[in-house]
Amino acid sequence: MTRHATRWVALAMLAVGCAGATDRPPAAAPPRWSSRAIPAARGEVRAEADGRSIAVRYPGWTTRDFGRFRTYAYDDARPEPPVRRGGTPPAVAGDPVKGRALFMDRARGPCTGCHLVPGEDVWPAGNVGPDLSTLADRRLPDAYLYQQLWDPRVTFPNTVMPPWGAQGIFTPEELVHLVAYLQMLRGPVAPDRDPERNPSTRHRPVGFGDNLDPTNNPAVLRAEAAEALWSARGPGGKSCADCHTGGIDRAMRGVATRYPRPVPAYGRVMAIEDLLSVHGPERTGRELAVESPENLDLTMRVKMASNGMPVAVDVATPPARAALARGKATFERRVGERNHACADCHTPERGASKFLGGRFLGDVTAGLTRHFPTWRTSQNDAWDMRRRFQWCMTPLGANMLAADSVEYAELELYLAHFDNGKPMSVPGIRH
Amino acid sequence: MGAGASVSDIGKVRLRLPASIKTGDVVRVRCLVIHPMERVERDKAGKIVDKKYRYIDKVTVTYLGRTIASFDTTQSVSENPFFAFTFKATDPGKLAVTFHDTHGETYEGTADIRFG
Repeated sequence: MTRHATRWVALAMLAVGCAGATDRPPAAAPPRWSSRAIPAARGEVRAEADGRSIAVRYPGWTTRDFGRFRTYAYDDARPEPPVRRGGTPPAVAGDPVKGRALFMDRARGPCTGCHLVPGEDVWPAGNVGPDLSTLADRRLPDAYLYQQLWDPRVTFPNTVMPPWGAQGIFTPEELVHLVAYLQMLRGPVAPDRDPERNPSTRHRPVGFGDNLDPTNNPAVLRAEAAEALWSARGPGGKSCADCHTGGIDRAMRGVATRYPRPVPAYGRVMAIEDLLSVHGPERTGRELAVESPENLDLTMRVKMASNGMPVAVDVATPPARAALARGKATFERRVGERNHACADCHTPERGASKFLGGRFLGDVTAGLTRHFPTWRTSQNDAWDMRRRFQWCMTPLGANMLAADSVEYAELELYLAHFDNGKPMSVPGIRH
Repeated sequence: MGAGASVSDIGKVRLRLPASIKTGDVVRVRCLVIHPMERVERDKAGKIVDKKYRYIDKVTVTYLGRTIASFDTTQSVSENPFFAFTFKATDPGKLAVTFHDTHGETYEGTADIRFG
């Protein structure tokens, strides 16, 4: 214990130097960590024999390597792409038909993910950006719209819209076609036959009923099956139950409400999953790799022992405050081909509680973590917070980090602090 | 199911009813049993592997000692099968849901119907 205490004092002294530093990155460097995750969850990039590089991700996920673009890694010092003027559009005749096809192309934007335009085939449109149904009535110059598509940050420094041209997602010629299409959009707009088409009148998702009912949420069954793992002795001759006596519900009651938290023994912020991946093998000899079913199921079961209790993550101690500041910086950091930040979609002043395509975006200030790991009806699997992060990275065009990276743990801590005081309910059930 | 349930759990029945029931209510019961529901396996040549597959082939519901419903099921029903049905709660007493599998095992879940 004294050894840990000394380390904390050292960290505390480092952090005092930047007291009240919740808004700027602290001087203390975050710890390094080598991943204990399953191979698919480590965020590795592999060089193929033919010279192509392949990103190793979960089965069914894209293997495209986004290595050219900025990531959430703390040691990725690349800056945000500079704001650039698009220059003169190429001398091609804009074709509105081609432009509309590009606008709808799911492999690119799709622009309809954020903007509503007329047409019953526009499905499902989002409303993170303005409704463009009558854009041409504003008589904006072609050159202005071209620049807006090339890099909108020239006009709107804080926009959530990606710099499509500057990042090479659309070619200059394609942007001319898009402008030609946008300049066709004149009112009046015919009323919608289906209120679900327009994201401003669409019903919000209502959920899937009682998430703790085992006949309703398959993740509950998976978590309960982990009770066998809790009391099974590992190769080291010990089980979890040998040290944590009195049954899992008594032994683990309230524990999960404090995670993620800085764990002195490992010198980093850890979620339950991260702790299990090192503490489990140390004490029982059994591997509990991060993102393995065993790790995930045991995590859910440990968290279930705190269900109904208020989340109470540490926001006060110097290491926690330093981690929170880094987590907040990650949340606001723009990454990837799309140059997006978490904050673009999940803060109330930007995309939160709006539709991104058909997806209703969560609001970080409401707390997004207290039901994780959660059953995903769309994936037929239980996902923890970090697999959710990794899934978010891919459409942003950024390589994911290891599931047990310090970056994700501190980001999860930042998100979890919005859940403080609200009751845990694990496993959740969501689309 | 991803990881799947461990073998020791096979046969565990969950039965869910509304928290409060009044006399004469039509009650919706949700029930689930942990069971692998083995599927037909084929060998490399595409021939069905000849063995006695283990799956639930009958579910019976008894209320006040009388069978009020039975379901015949096949391998097309998923692992850890879930059933829901309604019945009219006329008297207090025992409701039992029994799952029978092809290996002769039976798994039962019961609920005490009380009015309050």
